Amino acid sequence: MKISARFLLTFAVVAAATIVALTQGKIPGFRGDASKGDPRTAWGAPDLQGIWNTNTFVPLERSAQYGTRGTMSEEEHAKALADLQERNKRPGRDSRDVAGKPGLGTEKDVARAYNEFWFGDKPARLSYRTSMIVDPQDGRIPALTPEAAKRIADKREFLAALLQGTSGGRPGPISPRRNDPSPDYNLDRVNRADGPEDRGGPERCFGDGVPVVLGTGTFGGVMQLVQSPDSVSMYYDVGQGSGYAWVVPITNRPHLPSNVRLYRGDPIGHWENDTLVVDITNFSDETNFHGARENLHIVEKIKRVNANTLSVQFTAADPTTWTRSWTAVQELEKTDEKTTLVLEGGCHEGNYGLMGLLINTRAAERAFREGRGPDPATQDNATGGGDN
Amino acid sequence: MDSRSIWRGVFLAVGVVAIALAVSIRMTGQGSTREGRMPGGAPNLNGIWQAMNTANWDLLAHTVRPAVAQPGVYANHPVLAAPVLALGSVGLVPAGPGVVEGNEIPYKPETAAMKRDNGEHWLDRDPEVRCYMPGIPRAMYMPYPFQITQSATKIQMVFAYANASRTIFLEDAPKPPADKWMGHSVGHWEGNTLVVHVTNFNDRTWLSRSGDFHSDALDVVERFTPLSPDALRYEVTLTDPNVYTRPWKMSMVLYRQLEENSTLMDFRCLEFVEEPFLGHLRKNQLVKHWEGDTIVLDVTRRVPDGDKKYER
Repeated sequence: MKISARFLLTFAVVAAATIVALTQGKIPGFRGDASKGDPRTAWGAPDLQGIWNTNTFVPLERSAQYGTRGTMSEEEHAKALADLQERNKRPGRDSRDVAGKPGLGTEKDVARAYNEFWFGDKPARLSYRTSMIVDPQDGRIPALTPEAAKRIADKREFLAALLQGTSGGRPGPISPRRNDPSPDYNLDRVNRADGPEDRGGPERCFGDGVPVVLGTGTFGGVMQLVQSPDSVSMYYDVGQGSGYAWVVPITNRPHLPSNVRLYRGDPIGHWENDTLVVDITNFSDETNFHGARENLHIVEKIKRVNANTLSVQFTAADPTTWTRSWTAVQELEKTDEKTTLVLEGGCHEGNYGLMGLLINTRAAERAFREGRGPDPATQDNATGGGDN
Repeated sequence: MDSRSIWRGVFLAVGVVAIALAVSIRMTGQGSTREGRMPGGAPNLNGIWQAMNTANWDLLAHTVRPAVAQPGVYANHPVLAAPVLALGSVGLVPAGPGVVEGNEIPYKPETAAMKRDNGEHWLDRDPEVRCYMPGIPRAMYMPYPFQITQSATKIQMVFAYANASRTIFLEDAPKPPADKWMGHSVGHWEGNTLVVHVTNFNDRTWLSRSGDFHSDALDVVERFTPLSPDALRYEVTLTDPNVYTRPWKMSMVLYRQLEENSTLMDFRCLEFVEEPFLGHLRKNQLVKHWEGDTIVLDVTRRVPDGDKKYER
């Protein structure tokens, strides 16, 4: 009799556990699958957590030599790896010959290298993948719409006009457009420093743009991800004191009203089986993602592929910029958290550069007025010393 | 078979199933009540939180006063001064009963003078005015929300203000190689209380708009204790022998936002502080009253037409 009662109890506990498992199994992303051995959180969701890096290099866009091939041959890989390693020997340098004269050791060769200390280790490994972009088939960002092509050409012409007559620009007199406002919300490094708005986004510490792809190459970026049942919180360290926090709420709320525009958009996450899907809208005119501005729409899919790999896939669409949407996949690698700490940014807090640049330009204008120096409009202060 | 035993078994079984269902519903967040605990038993701190007090203006008990003051008719009744003069009621510091135990911050005589001087030059010196990272504990009681993402090994807090953030490590983490604005946080659970030890501060952050400050020797211990699923007791002890004569303690409550559309939106102050701090360096100044590097504000407030009829 006591055995029967104990049996009933055991049965009840098993039944209860089953109900718990089933109930949780109905919620996408909460379905356990121990047979795969993939990492899971205590509440059964795929565990996306860790510090993730981009130490294996994959270009965003595919070099034309690979055509529609998504992967390279052993031979191509060996050559591309040798090229990468050669470049890594002289980070930030440009030792190419100029007009038949040796470039090695010239000012041009070393002008950008002073800053390399801050950029971290170069990716030493090279993926067999020929591009992050997997759609369209040529691995390249699709053609611009006529409207976007004009918008971008107008901006390029504005930038070129302000460089006209300087060492970094086309020949000619000082452009009559010298005092024109920028045709867009400027994020580029304009050859002018009338005010902070003339300087690039990085110089104003805006941080990198859209947090769906970590820089490879120049910036060896890392991302730290912390996860709970109702949010995923990411910190992107994008090098040189620029880092930012980005929280994806896991919710079924609608997007913010369309008049609300955010630099990094309005992300909303939900689980589709084992993939975290993040829908991002409400970008602002201060956003610039490969030419797309406030009408950008991104769908990001984050999936833990195995213990050491996090796959981040995103599809970018903007009918006012591209003739079709495009999709890229970046595979991030796990970093040893026992030895690695992601540090806070602090770009704005230490941004004496922007102030110094404005002070210096005003001083140069004063010197020119007093006949002590050249017209600042004839100097190139835009094309050297950085990524922009 | 003893029927009483069977009924006892059935009763227990039904009870266990009911508890399991309840737990299941709460854990998945599908029920009407928020789950109070994480799987594994730790209190659930996830959500968007905010202090509802006036600590960021003044940690001690205080009545309403101008944010920037000039002498009025009575010595102890200052009036609003530029640059907040035109703001009227919006330019006032809201009153509050204070958050400091004993209502006293134990400054040394020389640091007490520094705090008073800071308070008098608040607009020139407060790192908050410059959109700098606020540090800990100030980030916890600024009048803006922050979001907690809690896992078993880390707790990430992201603050709306200035996109500041902090990671609380619940497991071993390397020590930072340099001081940080937000410090380095290492936490552990003591029963229902999250205890966090914060070190590696720089000396650049403040504690309030009243000039309260610290040095890079600051050592902070925070205690987060749930009062309910939607409220946390937040206690923080500050030790800094360079500035204070003894450790001192603040205590307050943090509240969870319950709005259906609650979401963390950036308080992106970065580009808005360019004008006050770099405006004098423009080629063509937007504010026409810079004198060198000093901003001179002429406050113009026309008496509205509607009021004039009462002034005849």
